[in-house]
Amino acid sequence: MRLEKCWFCSSTIYPGHGMMYVRNDAKIFRFCRSKCHKNFKMKRNPRKVKWTKIYRKLHGKELPQDTTFELERKRNRPERYDRNVVEDTVKAMKKISETRVEREAQTLANRMRGKKTQQRREDLAELQQGIHLVKAPTALLEEPSLTLPKEKMKVKVSVEQESKAMES
Amino acid sequence: MVHYNLKRITVVPTGKDFVDIVLSRTQRQTPTVIHKSYAINRIRQFYMRKVKYTQATFDEKLGTIIDEFPQLDDIHPFYGDLMNVLYDRDHYKLALGQLRTAKRLVEKICKDYVKLLKYGDSLYRCKQLKKAALGRMCTLMKRVGPSLAYLEQVRQHMARLPSIDPNTRTILICGYPNVGKSSFINKITRADVDVQPYAFTTKSLFVGHTDYKYLRWQVIDTPGILDHPLEDRNTIEMLSITALAHIRAAVLFFVDVSGSCGYSIAQQAALFNSIRPLFDNKPLLVVCSKIDLQSLESLPEEDRQLIMEMKKEASKCSGGIASEMMVEDDDCLLTMSTLTEEGVINVKNTACEKLLQHRVEGKMKSKKLEDVRNRIHVAMPRPRDTRERPPVIPAGVLEARAAAAPRAPRRLEKDLENENGGAGVYSANLRRRYILADESWKEDVVPEIADGHNIADFIDTDILKRLDELDREEHQREEGESEEEDMDDDEFRKLSPEEQEALAAIRLARRNIREEHRLKKTTADSRPMVPRKHDKDKRFTVSRMERHLSNLGIDPSAAAARARSKSRGRKRDRSLGYDEEAGVEAMDVEQPKSKKLRMKSRTRSQSRASMEVVPGEGFKDSAQKQQALALGKKAMKKRNKFARKGEADRTIVNLRPKHLFAGKRSTGKTDRR
Repeated sequence: MRLEKCWFCSSTIYPGHGMMYVRNDAKIFRFCRSKCHKNFKMKRNPRKVKWTKIYRKLHGKELPQDTTFELERKRNRPERYDRNVVEDTVKAMKKISETRVEREAQTLANRMRGKKTQQRREDLAELQQGIHLVKAPTALLEEPSLTLPKEKMKVKVSVEQESKAMES
Repeated sequence: MVHYNLKRITVVPTGKDFVDIVLSRTQRQTPTVIHKSYAINRIRQFYMRKVKYTQATFDEKLGTIIDEFPQLDDIHPFYGDLMNVLYDRDHYKLALGQLRTAKRLVEKICKDYVKLLKYGDSLYRCKQLKKAALGRMCTLMKRVGPSLAYLEQVRQHMARLPSIDPNTRTILICGYPNVGKSSFINKITRADVDVQPYAFTTKSLFVGHTDYKYLRWQVIDTPGILDHPLEDRNTIEMLSITALAHIRAAVLFFVDVSGSCGYSIAQQAALFNSIRPLFDNKPLLVVCSKIDLQSLESLPEEDRQLIMEMKKEASKCSGGIASEMMVEDDDCLLTMSTLTEEGVINVKNTACEKLLQHRVEGKMKSKKLEDVRNRIHVAMPRPRDTRERPPVIPAGVLEARAAAAPRAPRRLEKDLENENGGAGVYSANLRRRYILADESWKEDVVPEIADGHNIADFIDTDILKRLDELDREEHQREEGESEEEDMDDDEFRKLSPEEQEALAAIRLARRNIREEHRLKKTTADSRPMVPRKHDKDKRFTVSRMERHLSNLGIDPSAAAARARSKSRGRKRDRSLGYDEEAGVEAMDVEQPKSKKLRMKSRTRSQSRASMEVVPGEGFKDSAQKQQALALGKKAMKKRNKFARKGEADRTIVNLRPKHLFAGKRSTGKTDRR
C-alpha cells in the first residue's frame, strides 16, 4: 500500500481514488481526480495552471525546496526490517512534518510581509479619492474629516411628508 | 541385375481393354482421312502405317509388362520362393511366356500384312488387308486374356507384400499358431498385427521395425506352423518356412508353456525338432511365452525336460563360440509374458545381441574385414614424459557422489499444510523464514502509512542523525527570526471605524455605478426592460432627491422647494408663503406651508370624477354611473410594463404540446426540442 502523488496537482492519492494512465513508452501518470485527468488530456502544462503545487512552488508562493522534503524520498531498494529503525522513523516523521509546517508558515509570513502597510496605504488613497461619492463637497468643506456625513433632521421629515401624501 | 519395384508395376489391362486401348490409340495417332481417288501409293502408305502403328503399340505395352514383372531367377531367393509359394512359379512363368509369344506373333502378323499391303491395288483391298491384320492381332490378344487377368492379380498382391529386406538385421518369430508371436511383435514394434484367439489369425508375413544400439532391426512375424511333413504344408505355412529358410536372421522359437494355444509342449517340441534343420547357422532363442499363466518351475517334469532339450539344441545350432565349446548357453532359453510385459524387452535385447555377435563374427571371418582393417588407424598420442595425468573430477561432483546416499526426508511446508487442514484451510505463515537481526521481530505489524505519508519513504538507518541536523537548522532559523523585527510599523495608521464605514460606502457606491452602467449597456433582448416611466425603482421624485442630497450631507430643502415650484400650476400661488383663500400669510396658518402647498399642487393626471348623476349624461342612477366609469377605467387599463408575471403567465395549460415533442426531423437529431 503506497500513497502516490498526483502527476498534475501533486496532491496525495489515497487508495480507492483517482486514475492511472500508462503510456506506450511505459511512463505512468497517476491522477487524483478527473479534474486533473481532464486537464492532462487537454495537454495543459501543470507549471502554468495556477492551482497546482508545481506552479505555486515555481512562482514562489510556497516553499520550493527544503531539507524536510529531501528526507521524504522514494527509496527503490528495500531495507531489511529493523524494529528500532522503524520506531525511530515513525517518531521522526512527526517531528519532520511539524518543522515543515512551521517553515511553510514562515514562507507565507515572509510573502505577506508589508502587505498590511500596502493595504492601509491603498485604503487611505481610496478613501481620499472616493469620498466625493458619499459626501458632497460643501459638506466636506464644513467637515473635512473623511467620514460619512452626519444624519440630518430633514431625512426624518421627508419620510413623514411622503407618508402623508400617500394617504391623501 | 535389374531393379524391380514390386510396388510400382503398371496396371495390366484385361484382354478386351488391351485391345480397346491399342485400337483407339491407333485411331487417334494416325491420319484418318483417305479417299479412293488418292494415289495408290498414298493409300498403301496410309494403311501400312496403321498396321505398323498397331504392332508398335502392342509391342510397347507387352514389353513393359514383361519387363516390369520380376524374373523369379533374378530376384533374391527369398522373394523367389515367396512368390513361388504365393503365385506358383510355373503358372507365373507360363503367363509371362505367353505374353512374350504374343508379342512375337503380333510382330509376325504385322510383317506379313505389310508385305501384302505393298501390293494392294485399291483402297478397298488395302482397307481389307488392314482390317484383317488388326483383327488377327486382336484375336491373339483375346486368347492371351486369362494370362493378363492372372498377372493383374499377381501384380495387385505383390504390391501389398511387406517390404522385407533380406540382407539387413532381422529377427524372425516362429512357432505354433496362437503362442503369442503377434502379441510380441505388437509389443516391441509399432506394427499393429491382428491378435485373435483362433488359430491362423496371421495369414501372411508382417514386418515391424525396432531399434537397438542405434540400429534399425526388422522383426518378421510369421503365420503359425503345424507339425506335418513339408509336402502337406499349405500356402500360409509355406510362407513361414520360406522366411525361415532364406533370411539370415535371429530366430525366436516361441513355446507356449501354458498350453492355452491348444497344443501341448510335447507337440511343440516335436515341431521344433522337425524344423530344426532350418535353424542352421542362425542364432536361435527358445522363448517361453505366456509365463503369467504358467511358470516354468511349476511345469511337470517331462515338459521341463523337453524344454531343456530344446535349449540344448538351440545353443548348439546357434553357432559361434558356444557351440564350439559345447557349452550350454544360458541365454538360449528365455521366459516372458506379453500380458504383464515382463521379459519382453529382455528377449528382444538378447536376440539382437546374439544376431549382432553372429554377424560380426561372420564379417570378421570374411575377407572384407581385412580391407576395412587396413584402412582404420586409431591414433594414440605419444607420451612425452612419464608424468601421470589422471582425469579431473571437480570437487562438486565428488561431493555429490559422496552424498549419493538419500538423506532423511525433511519436513516440508506441504506436510505442514496437510496437517493443519489442507490447502483451503491452512494459510502458510510466510514470515517464518524471514531473516532478521532479531527473531522476535518476525511477527511485527509494520505500519505503511501515517498522516498522509508513506513510512517507507522516510526509512533511513541514520534518520536520527538527520533529525539532529534538522533541529540545528530550526534553532538557527528561530534565532534569525527573533533578530528580525516586525517590519509592519505604523507607517500608515489604521483607519478609524467611521473611516472604515465611509470606505465601505464608497466601495458600495462604486459597485452600484458599475452595475448600473452594465445594465444600461444591455438591450431589451437579453433582459426585460421596464420603461423608466413605469419603473418604480427609478422614479425621480422629490422625496428621493431630498433623501439623496441629505445622505450626501447637503440641506435639500432649497432644492426641493425649487423643484416643486416648477411643477405647480401657474394660476395658483407662486410665492412660497402666500395663501390666497385665507388672505393671510401662510406663516399664520397652523399647517406647515409645505404641506399645504403639497395638497394644492397636483399634476394633471389626477382629475376627480363625482358620483352624482348630472342630468344629460344619460345615467339612470349613481350606481350605473359608477359602473360605467369603472368600465371606462378598465378599458383604459394600462399595459403591464413592469415586467411582472401577469395572469396569462401563471399557468401553462399544456406542458407538453404534441407539436413540440413529437415527430422526426428531416435533418439533425431530436434530442433537443
